[in-house]
Amino acid sequence: MAKTYDYLFKLLLIGDSGVGKTCVLFRFSEDAFNTTFISTIGIDFKIRTIDLDNKKVKLQIWDTAGQERFRTITTAYYRGAMGIMLVYDVNNERSFENIKNWIRNIEENASADVEKMLLGNKCDLADRRQVSKQRGEQLAVEYGIKFMETSAKASINVEEAFYTLARDIKAKTEKKLKEASNPTKSGGHALRAPEISRKPPVWLARCSIL
Amino acid sequence: MFEPTEQGKDISIHSGVVLRGANTREDDVHSTGTLSIVEYTFGKCLEWKPTEVSVVSESQDQDPEWSLVNTHTRTRTVSEGTDSLGRSRTVRILLCDLKSFRINRSGQQLTLMLKDGTNYVVYFQLFNADSFVSSLKGFLKFIKSRKDRNMYIVMEAEDSVLEKSFAELDLFQENASDYVWKFVKNLHDRPYETTMEACSKLTDILLHKEPTRPVEEAVADLLNRSLTLDIPQPTILNVAGEEYEVIGEPGVSVVLPPRPPCPRGAPLTQEQWERCKDTDGRITNSEALKEMIFRGGISPTLRYEVWKYLLNYYPWEATNAERIELKNKKTEEYFAMKLQWKTMTPEQETRFSDFRDRKSLIEKDVNRTDRTHPYYHGDNNDHLVQLYDILMTYVMYNFDLGYVQGMSDLLSPILCLMDSEVEAFWCFVGFMNKVSTNFEMDQEGMKLQLSQLHSLVVLTDPQLAQYLDRHESGNMFFCFRWLLVLFKREFNANDILMLWEILWTDLPCKNFLLLVCVAVLDTEKNVLMENRYGFTEILKHINDLSLRIELPWTLSKAEGIYHQLMAVAGLLPDHIRVIIGLEPQLKTAIIDSEEENATAEPQLDVNDSRPSHSTGSGNVIFGNNEVSFERGINLSYM
Ligand SMILES: Nc1nc2c(ncn2[C@@H]2O[C@H](COP(=O)(O)OP(=O)(O)OP(=O)(O)O)[C@@H](O)[C@H]2O)c(=O)[nH]1
Ligand SMILES: [Mg+2]
Repeated sequence: MAKTYDYLFKLLLIGDSGVGKTCVLFRFSEDAFNTTFISTIGIDFKIRTIDLDNKKVKLQIWDTAGQERFRTITTAYYRGAMGIMLVYDVNNERSFENIKNWIRNIEENASADVEKMLLGNKCDLADRRQVSKQRGEQLAVEYGIKFMETSAKASINVEEAFYTLARDIKAKTEKKLKEASNPTKSGGHALRAPEISRKPPVWLARCSIL
Repeated sequence: MFEPTEQGKDISIHSGVVLRGANTREDDVHSTGTLSIVEYTFGKCLEWKPTEVSVVSESQDQDPEWSLVNTHTRTRTVSEGTDSLGRSRTVRILLCDLKSFRINRSGQQLTLMLKDGTNYVVYFQLFNADSFVSSLKGFLKFIKSRKDRNMYIVMEAEDSVLEKSFAELDLFQENASDYVWKFVKNLHDRPYETTMEACSKLTDILLHKEPTRPVEEAVADLLNRSLTLDIPQPTILNVAGEEYEVIGEPGVSVVLPPRPPCPRGAPLTQEQWERCKDTDGRITNSEALKEMIFRGGISPTLRYEVWKYLLNYYPWEATNAERIELKNKKTEEYFAMKLQWKTMTPEQETRFSDFRDRKSLIEKDVNRTDRTHPYYHGDNNDHLVQLYDILMTYVMYNFDLGYVQGMSDLLSPILCLMDSEVEAFWCFVGFMNKVSTNFEMDQEGMKLQLSQLHSLVVLTDPQLAQYLDRHESGNMFFCFRWLLVLFKREFNANDILMLWEILWTDLPCKNFLLLVCVAVLDTEKNVLMENRYGFTEILKHINDLSLRIELPWTLSKAEGIYHQLMAVAGLLPDHIRVIIGLEPQLKTAIIDSEEENATAEPQLDVNDSRPSHSTGSGNVIFGNNEVSFERGINLSYM
């Protein structure tokens, strides 16, 4: 039987409770929204396979509980993540301010070169907005990451956001593979640093399916 | 799920089939449909399509504004539509994603288990699952499980083409398949060293060749399988000491006797309840009552009354008059606390961020609590206001603990049953008093329970414990939700009432909840191990069990496990004795046990009385699990 995908990327959704992580994921994986959702306890993931430049890319997207108290448990699942969506709610100043804490959290628990992206969700509710698009953009620039405003409810930019993140990870992965296969030119041997068993280059983490 | 652009070819069609994915509440509309095997160019699929229009539609709740803003929506053919909850209605499962399936006891139900751990349950209304399974035979190779005669394991194409693909891909300088098989053999004999060696070799190879997915998968798969080859016999005595060194587990040399059957009983009746009251209304024989409740739960109409005792709102020995007095006092007290937050001015709030944080969490959660249950259904539902008020008042009652996610789950069934704000509040307080450590900031209560659960699995089922350790799951994090909200998310609205009242009796022992977890794991053991599920799939499978755990059977089994433990109580190591509420013996109980067992301080037993490698910096790893955890890392990065 033919292989079902060429790449497996593990992605992670993080951000304060109630910003809409589960809804964003549900929009992306089932193309639907429902108002009777339940809060996330612990952690779960969903799968969707997308096509990127004729490659089948299987996205395994992990959804975590937002409340700070559960971070000891949820950070256990950061390991091996290749992309992280940082989500805030444009109608909630606090969730935006907390993005910097989430970034710190990532720095402590995820691999250093994980791809990140900032999402300002619930952009369908224009009248209750507390965080302007400009401020979102500015913060993203500060961290050198990409940014989009999304709405899980109105289905705005959710597809685009995941495709963008996946495309960036794919580019990074392919670049690394190329470097690794040309060790003389690019010093690929350096990738095989002595600490390989602990901190492998990010693309190797793909094997974490095991 | 994916959307094929082409027209598939139907090969086999079965009608009268209901399909349920994971996390579908049982009160969602079930529609009947057809299940077919359809051939596409990308492979054969199981395809389920609904035949009826579902009865309830929530689409009228949707704001008109957003239905206009759908320029980014993926296009989908009209015929597929969405269900009442807005979900895509056609379900398509690639046959090559199927890992195993199991016919449930009634024979009308079939659970499909996919490689990534996802589950689907298929209900056949017109015929037996067997006939569907036989129609699958032409398209899939599968074998009957040796351990579970209702379970079938799909033979992966990989199993036969593995060697071929290694050879074709020319990844290894040496003869690829030889290398891999030699590796597997060594792995079995000398697991740790072999893995380390192989890791470095394979890393070399993979770094210099573009790894293609099938090989990675195959290697991962192979490794997984090799780890489960020739699993040691359940009796721990004949497990080689060496095996345990690798996973860092002290040898626990207790052999449990066979599990006795523990039939469930009938629920407590009004008559039985009245018989336990004296003329003044005191409950005279609460111990006997608790035993009856433990055995069979409480009749639905009686719950309203008995729960108030189980949750310590009313003392058992209170007379009718005393209860009336107590009720008045508690009602006053409740409204006094409610007034405290009700009278908070907006300006006060701006200077009280801890309060605001708690309030905003509650607002978010109330809107997401059991909304499919009729009691909480629909917009502007008064019961949601009560849910909110009780939780806000609880914040004033216990401000330090505050509001933590999961609490609304615990309150919801209580409010629904009491249908009274004051009584629900005090019963909720009683419940929280039993489980508040689950919600504390440092999460020590959760960590303790997870590590105790691990210890219990090590003792009752070393084979499973070893499997979990070897698949990076020894920290038992995949049971987090079970423990945090006491299975609230795993059982339907009726079953959860019975489970909770049974747990509140504190019978037959302390931490019976953990034995319930052990019982569920015991039921799932074969599926986890025969599907060779890894870290990710174990979590998925356990999450997807939601609403599919059989309560009476699980309770019988949990009680049986309790009796097994009690039968060898004198031989149990202290860290186990303490879990089930026995006094520690404070001596080297077992001849060949590791000394840590004896020197453990039961009260400070967070690390499960085995040496701690935890760094203490909010590290997620605790106890000896770190050993297996790190080993897992090595493997997973291979
Ligand atoms: N208007 C609007 N509401 C949304 C949107 N996305 C989510 N919501 C609502 O926001 C609430 C929270 O959404 P969730 O997806 O459950 O939030 P979460 O981030 O997963 O929260 P936790 O699981 O607690 O961490 C729900 O009641 C949703 O209905 C959106 O794009 N627009
Ligand atoms: Mg969520």
